[in-house]
Amino acid sequence: MTLPATGSTGSAAAGNLAPAAAQQPGFSVIVLTRDNRDEIAGLHQEVLAALAAWSQPYELIYVDDGSSDGTWAELVRISRSDPRVKAARMRSSFGEASALDAGVQMATGSVLLYFTCRVRIKPADALNLLRQIEAGEDVVIGVRHPRRDSGLNRVVSRLFNGLTNRMTKLHLHDVNSGVLALRREVLDHVPYYGTLNAFLPVLAHRQGYRIAEGMVEQLPGHFAQSLYPKNYLRRTLDLVSVLFLSKYSKKPLHFLGFIGALFTLTGAAINLYLFIYRILGFGGIAGKPMLLLGAILFIIGIQMISIGLLAEMIIFTHAKEIKDYNIEEIIN
Amino acid sequence: MSAHLQPDPSAPPYLSVVVPIYNEVESVERLWQAIHPVMEGIGKSWEVILVDDGSRDGTRAILRRLAAAHPQLRVILFRANFGQSAAMAAGFAATRGEIVVAMDGDLQNDPLDIPNLLDKMAEGYDVVSGWRKNRKDKLVLRKVPSKIANKLICSLTDVRLHDTGCSLKAFRGEMLRRIALYGELHRFIPALMRIEGAEIAELPVRHHPRRFGTSKYNLSRTFRVVMDLTSIRLLMKYLVNPLVFFSALMFFFLLCGIGSLTALLYMVIGRGAPLGEMNVLLTLTVVFWTAAVQFFFFGLIGKLIVTTGTRKTFLQIGQ
Repeated sequence: MTLPATGSTGSAAAGNLAPAAAQQPGFSVIVLTRDNRDEIAGLHQEVLAALAAWSQPYELIYVDDGSSDGTWAELVRISRSDPRVKAARMRSSFGEASALDAGVQMATGSVLLYFTCRVRIKPADALNLLRQIEAGEDVVIGVRHPRRDSGLNRVVSRLFNGLTNRMTKLHLHDVNSGVLALRREVLDHVPYYGTLNAFLPVLAHRQGYRIAEGMVEQLPGHFAQSLYPKNYLRRTLDLVSVLFLSKYSKKPLHFLGFIGALFTLTGAAINLYLFIYRILGFGGIAGKPMLLLGAILFIIGIQMISIGLLAEMIIFTHAKEIKDYNIEEIIN
Repeated sequence: MSAHLQPDPSAPPYLSVVVPIYNEVESVERLWQAIHPVMEGIGKSWEVILVDDGSRDGTRAILRRLAAAHPQLRVILFRANFGQSAAMAAGFAATRGEIVVAMDGDLQNDPLDIPNLLDKMAEGYDVVSGWRKNRKDKLVLRKVPSKIANKLICSLTDVRLHDTGCSLKAFRGEMLRRIALYGELHRFIPALMRIEGAEIAELPVRHHPRRFGTSKYNLSRTFRVVMDLTSIRLLMKYLVNPLVFFSALMFFFLLCGIGSLTALLYMVIGRGAPLGEMNVLLTLTVVFWTAAVQFFFFGLIGKLIVTTGTRKTFLQIGQ
């Protein structure tokens, strides 16, 4: 899976932390906020203190995902005080993926660090993830540890990580921690629209990028309620679509054809049985619910195959825009 | 020695050779040593493009070294393993040659056949496919399934070849760069070229037994090949008008619906059975009619897809 039609050649050389040009920042820190009016000033001080340990030029970007509580006014005040701080505001709440996208559009650094205020982590720990990027990793996920969260959230989160690892054959401890450091070029090749940002590491791994993890301490506070269980249901659906997209988006008939064939054959077998039953004179079949089952399975099967064919048509007619691969380097 | 043939290194060469490579550490250097003299001998400008599909066995280091020493060798390194279709697609996209030759990286194809392919191409064909007349594989495991698959692929894709599975093929570059390879469609390149309107010929080629590494063949592919085949077959037939295909399905279910409606009416009116006891027939009728209507709309969606798609060359089918 790559972003369609971006026109990028993918030939970017394996980029390192760009040796910072005069005013170009070496890295960009993107912080997502939403209804954090009271915390934002304190957080900003912590981030600045952590950034003081870094000699490279940086930029700090706050993206406000449609706060309604005066967070934006705070951000405006903060960004006026420091030229390295930018702030952007979403017109209304579009979700973290869109806010992240807005931040990425503004960012000029070749390495990005992104975290959301919702998880209340120690900014200094998040910045430390950049060290692993310097060491050659492409994506570094912050693992919240020690984690300060409600027991229920922790259990659900654990189940979710287990499910993700099982389905993706990765060994990640906190897939959706909301803290991520990565090279900018990764985002050129990995789709993160919708709510897929939660699976950025998984998608990046499929494209062959190097994934690592680093510890970030989560701070106590009333923010600790970071995710509600109902979100996990949605995330699980997202996981399924991520797997479908990354595995079958170029060959939908392999998947839909298989399921469809299963249904069709079952339905056909049932109807064949009923047909023989009727022919041999065991009795009428018009009143048998089994007839209905057979017919419906048969129809569903054929419909699935048809949907698979439609999907193949979509892919076939757009295939020239879709790149199925990710080139690391072209020599000569 | 061919320097005078390429006065301008940026000018597109006459011949591009594309070889996908995956974990071929033992054979990649021999492959280059086999291709290089053949290229030097054809008397035209050339380039060789080796596409590494995310090898993890040291192949990449050898490729880097070879590419550093030979400017006419271009190497594309994938970030991960994306499959043979992707490797060939990337290689084809990088070609600039008037003629493009594709072959396997496992030394089973012989580069010495390339000049013969070029001669055949000069007769005006758009695709010349290799035909391994004397296959050097174990009989049962490779030859028989391959024979069956070949028959099936040929009869369904309207391409008359003895051996579609042979990787050694020559293509008209400009036409090849128009097709899109994705998924696992590398097996159907002649069919895809046929959709573009290609004239296809074949030529007996040499075939050597595998000396290094293991064959990447397994029988579990069958289902996927059959699915791809179905898809290609239907695309070839109905890409211009998918409504025809889905209308056929619609009529089938419409007939079923009419049949079960007739049975229902017969039971209720003819035999005087109470309608309340005819749940199964009643539901069946409704389901059939619903399905028929749905297939009609599938057809409309199909029509919508192909007419709004970016691919406009499909009108060439049937030329």
